[in-house]
Amino acid sequence: MSDSSSVPPGFQQLTATGFAEANGPWFEKVEGSRLIRGFLPGPQHSNTHGIVHGGMLAAFLDSLMGSTVFHVLHRRCVTVRLSIDYLLPARVGVWLQGEAEVLGRDEQMVQVRGRLYGPRHDVLAGLGAFALLHRQRVPKIIRS
Amino acid sequence: MSDDNPPEGFLRIDFDRDRPVTFNTHVGTLYCKRGTKGTRDEFVLGFRVHPHMCNPAGGLHGGMMMTVSDLVGTMGGGTLVGLRKFLPTVSMTFDFVAPAQRGDWVEGRAEVVRQTRSLLFTEIALTVGETRILRASQIAKIPSGEGQTFGKARLDRSAEVAAKRPPA
Repeated sequence: MSDSSSVPPGFQQLTATGFAEANGPWFEKVEGSRLIRGFLPGPQHSNTHGIVHGGMLAAFLDSLMGSTVFHVLHRRCVTVRLSIDYLLPARVGVWLQGEAEVLGRDEQMVQVRGRLYGPRHDVLAGLGAFALLHRQRVPKIIRS
Repeated sequence: MSDDNPPEGFLRIDFDRDRPVTFNTHVGTLYCKRGTKGTRDEFVLGFRVHPHMCNPAGGLHGGMMMTVSDLVGTMGGGTLVGLRKFLPTVSMTFDFVAPAQRGDWVEGRAEVVRQTRSLLFTEIALTVGETRILRASQIAKIPSGEGQTFGKARLDRSAEVAAKRPPA
């Protein structure tokens, strides 16, 4: 990361809808089993103090952790529990990226650890439990 | 947003007051209701679920739930104990108890567990009607000294004022 104010080489922009689209663009790079995701925080991601909003960081890490489960296990999942520690602030205009790791699993649940970091320091540490969906099942929330 | 149709007593929170849009405005619109001191409605945050807050499955995005509950903890929890400072979040844990969907009116309430000199421990609940959709616990830092105030957020009372104005 020589220039931290732009998207680093090798990252592809993700297609998104809804919340992810409204708060994107988000970028991804796959290196074997490693899934790396990042975004360039803009003013719309910040709070009034010019640092990235904790809710945005949480949303991005949650999405990254869920995607890592899909990348590693080829199973879709939903977040059941997420615990987050805010280590240091992330600044607007400075590239932020993260990765996650599957720690354990059984037939129903997966335990995941994730972190977000900037060019100089760690920003966020997360630990989550995700419920695996059945292979054929697409999450259905809208009541018909 | 005009089709939010917030329940009685909720006022739009104007986070930025004509300055560039920040995250709280960008993800919203968010509303606030203030009730009698000491009741569970002393500070209530509310919003209507719109497509820009949803996940690919069409339900309320977990990121939106976390954003709002973070705010309920720092802004609401701070209000409950009489702090007008900006309280940075140190740690949060979220349990995603149930989904919410497009069109739902979501409310958030905080309960202060303990306040120390430098930390504020709160529990936060998001509900749709009687159904709890998210349970969260938060630790926020109470900055020493005067600290920064909670941005420029204020409640937009223009609708309230307009309603009270005698007909011309």
